[in-house]
Amino acid sequence: MNFKIPNFVKTNQFGLLCLVIIFICIFSFSTDGFTSRFNIYALSRVVALDIMIGLAMMVVILTGGLNLSLGALGVSAAMFGGWCMESMGIPISISIILVLAFGSFLGWINGFVTVRTGVHSFIVTLATMSIYFGFMTLLTEAEAFRKLPEIFTDFGSLKLFNKYISPLLIISVLTCFILYYVFKYTDIGRKLIAAGANPDAAELSGISVDRMFIYCHMLSGFLAALAGIMLTARIGAAIPSMAGHLGFDWLLPAFLAPVLGGTLLSGGKVTVFGTMLGAILVTLINNGLYLIDVGEFWVRFFLGMILLGAVLLDRAREYFTVKNSIVS
Amino acid sequence: MSDNILELKKITKNFPGVKALDNANFRLKKKSIHALLGENGAGKSTLIKIITGVYNQNEGELFLNNKAQSFNSPNEAMNSGISVVHQERNLIRRFSVGENLMLTNLPKNNLGLIDYNAVAKESKKWLDIMELDIDPNTIVSDLTVAKMQLCEIAKALSLESKILLLDEPTSSLSPQDTKNLFVLLKRLVAEQDVSIVFVSHKLEEVFEICDEVTVLRDGKNACESEQITNLNRQQLVKLMIGRDEQIINSKKEVNFDDKNLLNLQSINTDLGHKDINLNLKKGEILGLYGLVGAGRTELLKCILGLEKINSGQILLNDKEIKIKSPKDALEKFKIGYISEDRKKEGLILMHDVLSNAGITVWSNLKKILSFLNDQIVYNKVDPYVKQLEVKTPSYQQIVSNLSGGNQQKISVAKWLASGTDILFIDEPTVGIDIKTKSYLHELIIDLSLKGTSIILITSDMPEMISLADRIITMKDFKVVGETINNHNYEQMSSSIMDNIHE
Repeated sequence: MNFKIPNFVKTNQFGLLCLVIIFICIFSFSTDGFTSRFNIYALSRVVALDIMIGLAMMVVILTGGLNLSLGALGVSAAMFGGWCMESMGIPISISIILVLAFGSFLGWINGFVTVRTGVHSFIVTLATMSIYFGFMTLLTEAEAFRKLPEIFTDFGSLKLFNKYISPLLIISVLTCFILYYVFKYTDIGRKLIAAGANPDAAELSGISVDRMFIYCHMLSGFLAALAGIMLTARIGAAIPSMAGHLGFDWLLPAFLAPVLGGTLLSGGKVTVFGTMLGAILVTLINNGLYLIDVGEFWVRFFLGMILLGAVLLDRAREYFTVKNSIVS
Repeated sequence: MSDNILELKKITKNFPGVKALDNANFRLKKKSIHALLGENGAGKSTLIKIITGVYNQNEGELFLNNKAQSFNSPNEAMNSGISVVHQERNLIRRFSVGENLMLTNLPKNNLGLIDYNAVAKESKKWLDIMELDIDPNTIVSDLTVAKMQLCEIAKALSLESKILLLDEPTSSLSPQDTKNLFVLLKRLVAEQDVSIVFVSHKLEEVFEICDEVTVLRDGKNACESEQITNLNRQQLVKLMIGRDEQIINSKKEVNFDDKNLLNLQSINTDLGHKDINLNLKKGEILGLYGLVGAGRTELLKCILGLEKINSGQILLNDKEIKIKSPKDALEKFKIGYISEDRKKEGLILMHDVLSNAGITVWSNLKKILSFLNDQIVYNKVDPYVKQLEVKTPSYQQIVSNLSGGNQQKISVAKWLASGTDILFIDEPTVGIDIKTKSYLHELIIDLSLKGTSIILITSDMPEMISLADRIITMKDFKVVGETINNHNYEQMSSSIMDNIHE
């Protein structure tokens, strides 16, 4: 009998999906309350943010670069949003647009400096991380915005689908679909990927590689700002330390999601849904380990180990890229 | 017993799709200077890499002092007394001369630390043998290019090398430095028992200092260890270039009185091009010939806006234009560039056939909101991929899995699809099988017949004389000659060679 394995089974995403299911099973049986309505709702709120952060990092990894300023940028944008809504009384919708524009602008700075100086984005964003965070702390005097419009904070605690799912998750999943569409079905998306894969060849083929790299950084800033807004809505306030000092708390999930998802660190390949699954896996492990009650430091230890493992996988994957498609 | 220090018998080396060496022989006599000649891609560097242990041959044997030997690494060859001095400098620029010379065997004191006095003393010994007046404590980057070259040779001597391979040792030396180097080489051979393999494009030098000569052509011996006194210059050129390659006669009439399509007027560039004047007619194939390092590819890249043009004008249809980037060149002026390095600059190896073939046309094909799907791209590029007979299982195939010939066809196809008026074609047939090669030749001629103007760079003389309507010779970033091609191989090749070696 001739049994043919469907192509999907061979992909990285399938492996991830299996892992997600395995972990769900393990945690469902080994912990109390993992499948409770409360826990699933809490999970959906966290995973929404991790997906968005992962996507924000993914679009810069696409260029073969990194964005360490992700957390600082997201929080700065969120604080800007808090200032718009609370101090200036600007309507919510306009505030959000301003925040997203502000995030894109900060991303543009990252991209512009990277492209113009030719310095690796690791160094550039390490610097801007401190600059953004320092500047934000200076301007806000480390004070939070806690009197945000109620409609805005209510949205963050809204419960959909029989009170299982947060609307924030829907925003993230929708963003995944939009990004997938952009990378798969638009001229600009193709150019972004081509520029990331081989800048020299792309440049000689008539693509303005510098501009594409700046676009990637702007998109990263946009998505990080969106994540900042979502986090603000979730906690109901814009707090300077909501992503940890210098935004460090975002960095681990930001790397884990795309790298687990199959995005190549050397650039030229995006895995939108892989990143989504990667973020789900990270959140699951995080949440499950807390429920098992292993303690904060063990959770960090495990996530660190997973990242190291994922990076090793990345090296192996470069040999096998051949078998995977470029956008997935 | 023969007096050969090194002998290679019937060496064959295969690379995927290419036979780099095909039953090649090579004999180096003790205490002699032996010229190894051949055109680019003839197999010289492969042979050198086999001698120095970088590659292993597929067939054939290597004898060192009449004993069969095989090297598995460059280190093994070095320990057996074979050293190579490359075209590129292999010195660590921020280290001193002494440190560089003694690098593999730094003298240490009782504490296990480096004994700098001993470094200076030991290295001085080798510098003295070469009669070089350099303080061993000098930092390498402070030396002149010529002195660096000599230090490299001193380094090779310090490793007790008996066989010295010099790869284009004079390419960056002034005539006076070259003369000094030759005096030194002759003395080394006479006094230090050294045998030298000399690789050079400059035939005068070969006649000046070499005793014997081996010529490679397409991986085979065109001549084997011939006494240099038995040959004259013409014969040597003939051996290098060969005549057996058939010349396609394009039977094309280009009207050189026509007005210029593209015109470069006294262009000076950041890279060092001096006063370049060039013009290209509609439907013409303009050849740029020159040795490696003559600045041909660099000139094209300056035109494309990748490097800075300091002064001079570029005219397109008599109107001055400024090209800021390849994107500009493609979209505003319809100029395309097929790179010589298809792996690094021509293709995105990790992407599939469709996105590689379509990359130049995405901008034109996009619909509203930048929408573009595979079907639209496929419809556009399919005729060209079919026309070029690219052999690929599907459009989803990753390009790095295709053969070199098919890869090259794709990097040509994407520019055919883009429909440019002017095409820069850089070394279109390097490392490509004969069949694809002649196919690409026909295609280039066909394109020009249909009105595309082409600037062709090739180091393959027969290819140049087959294809070009007019040949411009470049040397040291300058134009040194211009000849209308009469497709007579003998006349053209000697006239071009004369331009270069003037």
